[in-house]
Amino acid sequence: MTDKTEIPVMIEREQDPKRTNPLAHVFDELVKFCRSRSMFMLHYCTGCGAIELPPAMTSRFDMERLGIQPMVTPRQADILLVTGYVSVKTLKRIILTYEQMSSPKYVVGICSCTVNGGMYWQSYATAKKLDEYLPIDLYIAGCMPRPEAVIEGMQKLMADIRSGKASNWKDYYRNYDYYLGNQQHLFGENWQTPTDVIGEARNYSLEGPGTTGEHTQLLEQYQQPLEPITTHFRIGESVTVSGEEDT
Amino acid sequence: MSGEVVKWLDNLIADVDGVGYKRKSERRIRMDVASDTLPTLLELLRGRASYVHLSAITCVDWIKDDEFELVYHLWSYESNNLVSVHTRIPRSPGVYVSVFDIYTPAAFFERDINEMFGLYFEGSPDMDKFILTEWDGPPPMRKDFDAEGWVHRKFNFQDDHPDWLKELEEEGGGVAIRPEEVRLKLQAARRAAEDEK
Repeated sequence: MTDKTEIPVMIEREQDPKRTNPLAHVFDELVKFCRSRSMFMLHYCTGCGAIELPPAMTSRFDMERLGIQPMVTPRQADILLVTGYVSVKTLKRIILTYEQMSSPKYVVGICSCTVNGGMYWQSYATAKKLDEYLPIDLYIAGCMPRPEAVIEGMQKLMADIRSGKASNWKDYYRNYDYYLGNQQHLFGENWQTPTDVIGEARNYSLEGPGTTGEHTQLLEQYQQPLEPITTHFRIGESVTVSGEEDT
Repeated sequence: MSGEVVKWLDNLIADVDGVGYKRKSERRIRMDVASDTLPTLLELLRGRASYVHLSAITCVDWIKDDEFELVYHLWSYESNNLVSVHTRIPRSPGVYVSVFDIYTPAAFFERDINEMFGLYFEGSPDMDKFILTEWDGPPPMRKDFDAEGWVHRKFNFQDDHPDWLKELEEEGGGVAIRPEEVRLKLQAARRAAEDEK
């Protein structure tokens, strides 16, 4: 088994002073263009806004002509679409889903509920401001926005990706402490996710002064150490414990 | 058979003291009982009058009377009747007896009521947290729970962002034709059509 540090890591840098290849920027443009034209969308349908998505995706409005396709797993998706109100319990799942997605990733909040609680602003069970817990790239306001508005918003996101403006996923790594603090405010101090966000931030060299802080200290404090799992196999009469020599 | 059961019930229950009996419609009956006789009545309805299905238990918080009202909705597949048994219990200490031994599905409803109203059911198999897993406040469906205050303490709201729409307006977005203009145009067209006549 190789050591973790030996694995080559592709690091994205903002401005690389050593860049000498004159074609590097051309290449960057090409990458951005391709990225903006092939997007896989994970639609996390929490509320009523989900109703507007089937016509937007299928033959009537046909999002696929813009290069946007629905995707079923977070690990293979670029866009996380949150459609509608987010209850505190759902928010947990959304954060878990978001952290599973591979970078670069973009979050789009559809409906007024994701902006400000919408018509559920008085409810004790729904989160009000989604951008406190996740870095949002784009809000599509409306109750609910029509498929035209959804497609308009998607085109805006495509333009933002192409110009490099949509880079809020980096903000999640740079200011992880802020986002984690808001999450802990809702879920309690012992809130943990299986993803090592700080480690990822170091990997992408996106660690900033806001990555760690008082909230991430709590994360370490409540972290339960991983313990080896012993597995018991019952073969016939004899019981074998893995990790022990069978005599 | 079904007609007989209904008639039997109408005649019998109306004669029993302490049970307020009211036929609301052809298929709905309302009964009002004291809280200590409710389990006996349910036992009777289930065992003798074919009301085998407990559809729901509803809780109402009458804060001015300082009472909780519990409504047990029972359905009979034989007579196709719905009986709603109403009872009232004092708000404090908020303890009542479970009917889990008569109707097993009651466990589900009682656990829900315990979470939402803080009403404890003695003898119910599980009174743990149910839907509100992260909840650390008072029971939220009680009338004295200040939802708005809670929301303002727990959540932040979006600040005013007048710059959010500027970009859209610069690109020529926003509302192109205002609804009132459309309305005025329609009115004018209608008037013109009437004048021509």
